[in-house]
Amino acid sequence: MDLFRRLFTQSQAKPDELISKTIEPEPFEEQKATEATTVPIPAVNAVEEKDESEIAYADGATRPLPPETVITTSNMHLTFGQSTDVGMVRSNNQDAAFSFFSTSRNADQRPDFGLFIVADGMGGHHDGEKASAATAHIVAAQVTSSVYLPMLTGENDADRIPITEALVSAVQKANADIIARIPDGGTTLTATAIIGDLAYVVHVGDSRIYLITKDGIEQITRDHSLVQRLIELDQLKPEEAAHHPQRNVLYRALGQSESLEIDALTRRLPPNSRLLLCSDGLWNVVEEKDMLGIVIAHDDPQEACDKLVALANTNGGTDNITAILLYIPSS
Amino acid sequence: MPETQKFAGGSGDSSSDNSLQANSVVHRRYKILGILGQGGMGAVYQARDLNFPDVHKLVAIKEMLNPATDPAIHNSTLKLFQREANILATLNHPAIPKIFDFFDQNERFYLVMELIVGSDLEELINKTKELPVDKVIDWAIELCDVLEYLHTSQSKPIIFRDLKPSNIMIDNFGKVRLIDFGIAKIFDSDVRRHTMIGTEGYCAPEQYKGNVTTLSDIYGLGATLHHVLTRKDPRLEPPFSFGERPIREFNTNVPERFVEAIERALSLEPDKRFNSASEMKADLERLRYQPQVAFGAVAEVNDGTNFFDGLDADGAIQPKWKYPTEDEIRASASIYKEMVFVASYDTNVYGVNLADGEFAWKYATHGGIAASPIVDESNRLVLFGSEDKTFYALDCRNGRISWSYTTQDKIRSTARIAPDVDAVFFGSDDGHLHALNVLNGRFLWKHDMGDPIRSRPFIFNDLVIVGAESGEMVALELSGNRKWGFRARRSLTSSPYVDTIEGICYVGSTDGYMYALDASSGYSSWRFRTNGPIISSPVVHEGLLYFGSADGYLYAINAQTSREKWKFQTEKAILSSPVVHNGAVYFGGIDEYFYCVDIQTGKERWKFKTNGAITSTACIANDVILIGSLDKTLYALPLVG
Ligand SMILES: Nc1ncnc2c1ncn2[C@@H]1O[C@H](COP(=O)(O)OP(=O)(O)O)[C@@H](O)[C@H]1O
Ligand SMILES: [Mg+2]
Repeated sequence: MDLFRRLFTQSQAKPDELISKTIEPEPFEEQKATEATTVPIPAVNAVEEKDESEIAYADGATRPLPPETVITTSNMHLTFGQSTDVGMVRSNNQDAAFSFFSTSRNADQRPDFGLFIVADGMGGHHDGEKASAATAHIVAAQVTSSVYLPMLTGENDADRIPITEALVSAVQKANADIIARIPDGGTTLTATAIIGDLAYVVHVGDSRIYLITKDGIEQITRDHSLVQRLIELDQLKPEEAAHHPQRNVLYRALGQSESLEIDALTRRLPPNSRLLLCSDGLWNVVEEKDMLGIVIAHDDPQEACDKLVALANTNGGTDNITAILLYIPSS
Repeated sequence: MPETQKFAGGSGDSSSDNSLQANSVVHRRYKILGILGQGGMGAVYQARDLNFPDVHKLVAIKEMLNPATDPAIHNSTLKLFQREANILATLNHPAIPKIFDFFDQNERFYLVMELIVGSDLEELINKTKELPVDKVIDWAIELCDVLEYLHTSQSKPIIFRDLKPSNIMIDNFGKVRLIDFGIAKIFDSDVRRHTMIGTEGYCAPEQYKGNVTTLSDIYGLGATLHHVLTRKDPRLEPPFSFGERPIREFNTNVPERFVEAIERALSLEPDKRFNSASEMKADLERLRYQPQVAFGAVAEVNDGTNFFDGLDADGAIQPKWKYPTEDEIRASASIYKEMVFVASYDTNVYGVNLADGEFAWKYATHGGIAASPIVDESNRLVLFGSEDKTFYALDCRNGRISWSYTTQDKIRSTARIAPDVDAVFFGSDDGHLHALNVLNGRFLWKHDMGDPIRSRPFIFNDLVIVGAESGEMVALELSGNRKWGFRARRSLTSSPYVDTIEGICYVGSTDGYMYALDASSGYSSWRFRTNGPIISSPVVHEGLLYFGSADGYLYAINAQTSREKWKFQTEKAILSSPVVHNGAVYFGGIDEYFYCVDIQTGKERWKFKTNGAITSTACIANDVILIGSLDKTLYALPLVG
């Protein structure tokens, strides 16, 4: 192989090179069990996926593409939908939803950026809706200024604070604000910042994020509820939880105490996967298999969101319903 | 109801307008003097009993609202109240306040009882910084005693159900008094329609399934003691998470045996707790009244068995062979086929037979060797840099030199090969990352980082990722072009590690943090703080990240959330990098031990003592673990779980 060419050309790779460029552990590493054990088996899967998309690129339209990719064009980016409704029983909507997405094309090559937030407020006298609204706005403002703007200007690229840390401190700020200004209000908060194909998630309470891939639907957040805790400790069966008298008891929410523990996690989003953020008004009445069915069946995320909310209402609409749905592009 | 349940729906607020006014006389007998406390169902008043005109006899009157509007329910509630009050009135125990009278008036129920002068335990927690542990043990014994009484003295056990600091008073004699009997529960409707925040915090898990037994009170006692000793309010923590807050982490004054008793009381499964309050009482009495000497003796016996266990373990782990060198072994060995390659600070690289540790060949450089030799299998080369500034490629079969390449300063960075482009990368103290053709050592390019590079580069997705002593980390394309940069606050001596599935790069810094970065963009997603510099390179296995810190701990943290799963304490700093193999993690310490720790539990499986600090990483192949020590020796240990 022409080493010189490989090393000194920019990666404007030719098709044959792309195909040969699978990520394989170095043979040496395999022998040396010390590191071989740390290369988990599913790597094969990831490599396959990567291959597929690369081959699709390399030989153009010679083979049928998966249906999702047909509708997107070469300048592919994330698309999203957002829908919220008061439901059939409550008189006001205490949920808050926020969506923001930016994509650009230029020589600087900044990755796409998105910020999506669901907050489910609680407390009487409009305190709940005030708490969720304040939380959504404070988190959005903080993350925009601490993560998004520096990304645009490219300043101090090397010493930015870690993104989940920025998200966590935004949530802390919202919590402090609610305690000070809306002492009788509280709210859940589930938010994700998308940078490139990485999802940075912060989460408090029982709103949820589901990751939907060709393999199915997976809840990637963990409810901070009494019943969920009992389930995790094998003290309650999941099927008992749905009708438990205390299924609405949360052990963690914004507005509860100055010291708030916040879940944070980072997930790589596979090509063509979908991310659903929702309040308990959706997941309490719509089963996961129905969510999956609706999301898979729609090419337009907004249509899918509307359908999800409509189904929640059909199933009783006992609570406020919010859904935000992100469609991740194929590469 | 705890105040943390801010948003309880249903039951109406106890509107203060209906509460009893000071100086009013109720039931033609009790003159209200003031409010002692506010409970969930109404107030508790201090009153004077006018039946004793000549003395100032004070009582406490507990008020309970009857929220039922339906007359039938109202009546049955009244019946229940009367029955319960009658039971309470017959109780006779020093820790239970006497019940004098009960009546109802204006839709409210009143219980007249002995006034306790003192303060409840919740107040006491709030007012003090720490309570003497001996005192707490005394209270625990008294609480066990009253629980034993409640559970056994009547034909049917009386279950308290709601043991927590605010329901326990300490009177002016320092004695425990139980207030707030289950009687209030008659009125407590469990209809909770709206989401609310905060849990009871002290209730046993089975109580949420309606299975209340006497053992639930044992759990409540354990929860109360845990709160009193750790000062961590369980209502602000995830329910049933006491196990995640080991008592001694918050309060080192608590004797181990008291901790054990509390932990047992807090078992999630009722049958793992004490069988009864009296059993717990006996246990606590033993530890309270055992003379200090006996305490020591017990500890000594325990130490003794540990000591012998240790010996057994040490005895079991006998090296298959040892290979002595002339100076410290600072770097890791590597294996190819039947050969082991090990570098020593004595300036030599040795080829040793894997089977028996017999010498095969050696190659002498002109400086100490601190970097690990690596093997290029396809070209059968052993590659390493030396402090003589030179990078060497030897034939692995005979140790003869194939080529060499000289940099401007010492080389301490272990090299990395990109096999599909036949390139080898390594850093030098001359501040450059060097890229050479692995076949002939021809210079390809070098990248100037300004400060010495001692970490080992990682290759991921056609990016070479490496950190420098300046704290700067870069990702270079295979052509040498800079793709992204990142800066830690101090040096990056620890080598970056990329989880190739998730595409996340992890690197430790001497600033004490472990960082997680997106390997393709360099954006950092989180950092995790330890209490010492991190030199040890991380490794990911099944979603967990393992690394050591100079604070003496080996950490296992969730790679996605950066949450700690466990940490394992050694005597001194850990500089060596962990290796995960077959359910165990292996690493060496500056304390001269080589450890095997179970990755599920974070508990030691065995350890092996060398005669020097261990700074290098183990190399595991087939059935041997190779580990070098600063005692100049390479040990080949049998691979036992
Ligand atoms: N017998 C008593 N003597 C003195 N103070 C009392 C007495 N009973 C209750 N209190 C005070 O009133 C507070 C509330 O009483 P409690 O019986 O726990 O009510 P609730 O059932 O509403 O929680 C207690 O925390 C304590 O401070
Ligand atoms: Mg009480």
